[in-house]
Amino acid sequence: MTASSPPTALIADDEPLLRERLRSHLARLWPELQIVAEARNGREAVELFDQHLPGVVFLDVHMPGLNGVDAARSVARRAEVVFVTAYEQYAVQAFQQGALDYLVKPFDEARLADTVQRLKGRLQRSSAAAAVATPAQVQLVDTLLAGVSAELRRRDGADGRVTTYLQWIKASVGATVRLIPVEQVAYLRSDEKYTLVVWEGGEALIRKPIRELADELDPERFAQIHRSVIVNLHQVAQVNRGPNETADVQLKGRQELLPVSRSFVHVFRQM
Amino acid sequence: MPALLDAGSPPGTPPPPKNSLRAFVLALTLRRVGATLLMAVLAALIISPIFVTPTLVLVGRFMVIALVLVLLFTAAGVWRQRWVPTWVLQLVVVLAAAPLMTFVVYLPSVGGDIKEVFSHEGRAQGFVSITASTMFWGALLVMGALFREREARSRSAELSFALQKSQLERQAADAQLKLMQAQIEPHFLFNTLANVQALVESGSPRAAPVLASLIAYLRAMLPRLNDARPTLGGEAALVRAYLELMQMRIPDRLQFSVDMPPDVGAELLPPLALLTLVENAVHHGIDPCEQGGRIDVKAWRSRADGAVHLTVSDTGVGLIETAQPGTGLSNLRARLAAFYGGRARLELHENQPQGVRAELIIAHATQARA
Repeated sequence: MTASSPPTALIADDEPLLRERLRSHLARLWPELQIVAEARNGREAVELFDQHLPGVVFLDVHMPGLNGVDAARSVARRAEVVFVTAYEQYAVQAFQQGALDYLVKPFDEARLADTVQRLKGRLQRSSAAAAVATPAQVQLVDTLLAGVSAELRRRDGADGRVTTYLQWIKASVGATVRLIPVEQVAYLRSDEKYTLVVWEGGEALIRKPIRELADELDPERFAQIHRSVIVNLHQVAQVNRGPNETADVQLKGRQELLPVSRSFVHVFRQM
Repeated sequence: MPALLDAGSPPGTPPPPKNSLRAFVLALTLRRVGATLLMAVLAALIISPIFVTPTLVLVGRFMVIALVLVLLFTAAGVWRQRWVPTWVLQLVVVLAAAPLMTFVVYLPSVGGDIKEVFSHEGRAQGFVSITASTMFWGALLVMGALFREREARSRSAELSFALQKSQLERQAADAQLKLMQAQIEPHFLFNTLANVQALVESGSPRAAPVLASLIAYLRAMLPRLNDARPTLGGEAALVRAYLELMQMRIPDRLQFSVDMPPDVGAELLPPLALLTLVENAVHHGIDPCEQGGRIDVKAWRSRADGAVHLTVSDTGVGLIETAQPGTGLSNLRARLAAFYGGRARLELHENQPQGVRAELIIAHATQARA
């Protein structure tokens, strides 16, 4: 970018009213600034950035798909980034530490005016002289953003977080596919090609063989106790020892006894 | 598979000690031994008038026999076998051991000569009397002990039931507390306010209806000033306000419908139950989805059994099998269990062609607990 060409900006926010509001305030405070593109999510922001290479990027932190912080990491110092965020205190802290600019929604015009002043100053400096950031500073910002990104993903779905183990079992029941949280499963029993899932709400056959399930279920909660049986340890009421190093397992609130074969008796040895 | 439950370890009690000798010693209580010996003395005194043997010797014989029988009875009780029920084994052991032991205590008095026991008519008669009375008292004691054991077992079952009930109640209280602590997400509130601000600044005529939705939402979410019990109709109004606010924020990514026929509007519901399902659909279905989708809220009463069905379907990203289930849902399950006591169930289904459908089924109050 040369000093003579007008400054350009990209606005990314998944909420259209907020894009409009930022655009209209910027038009009043900084008439020379050209908004070259508006993005509705992080992926679009990165695409449109590469297409237009604007000097300034306003990034909403919370966006579907790729979030604002990850989009910023991909823009990687090719533009001045301003984060726009609502109530993400941990993000704001990181931005402050990294001397990154940010706006907290809902922001007032005075706060935006400060940001505009700072941006104008930086754009002039970077067009007049070389980059001012030292490698150490760059490193610090990268680390901070990586931290915020991880934190965002953690909170975003404090619930929907993806784990290593199977948390849901999908089973066809009648015409629909039931989604069964594994915590409700009492036990699984192999039934020829299928596996019988027995849970609080009923029983269903699934196609996944017991061998695969044994690998995919959380070993903290589930244990194989027989060649053909996996049990939810949280639902075990008691274990009865039998002859020849075998045993059987009784489940809470259930009549049936599940066999524990010799090679799996060790599962209950610590109990 | 032998499916016999060991009668000595009822469900809900801790498993018996692994070491059978230890179990044996534990089962051999002072009370049990004392009661047996007392009965032996009584039996000896009752039977002694028909004997020529000195009463003291008779009491001694009875006590030896009783002691051995109580040891055998206890051993049969802790023996972890699975061919016959424990109580049958205990009875058989006591009945079989009674004549055998009587015979054994007679041996010293005849100098070890087995024939001597039966050749003398008086002795043979004594043997029969002692055996008969031992068997009688033995069987009586066994029955008594078994009865007491059964009592103890039903008491322990009662206790474990009470424990389960109190655990359920505690979970419900926890769920209620969490609900009260985390009602309005600040993130949701500030984002919504930012949108309202945009509408107000631009002089949009939409500002007023959106503010009305926000007020309706806040009024329902803030700790209740009025103690009115929440109804399905009220929850539907809250959910509509919430979805209107969400739609104002992401109009290109959210369509919705709320279909609530008047005949289910009066159904009682735990507070915010429906909102939890709708928030879930937004957070886990629509929010992560770049294209967004639809949320349809529907309620109806089944003509067949009068049950109320409530569904919240979304066409969002759907469910990943390894995604941690939301605390919102397990929390809601606890609240439902506390509120309906097993009358309601919450099911999750895959929605066609995509997304998730949550269905809450509330059995008709009069047909509850089918």
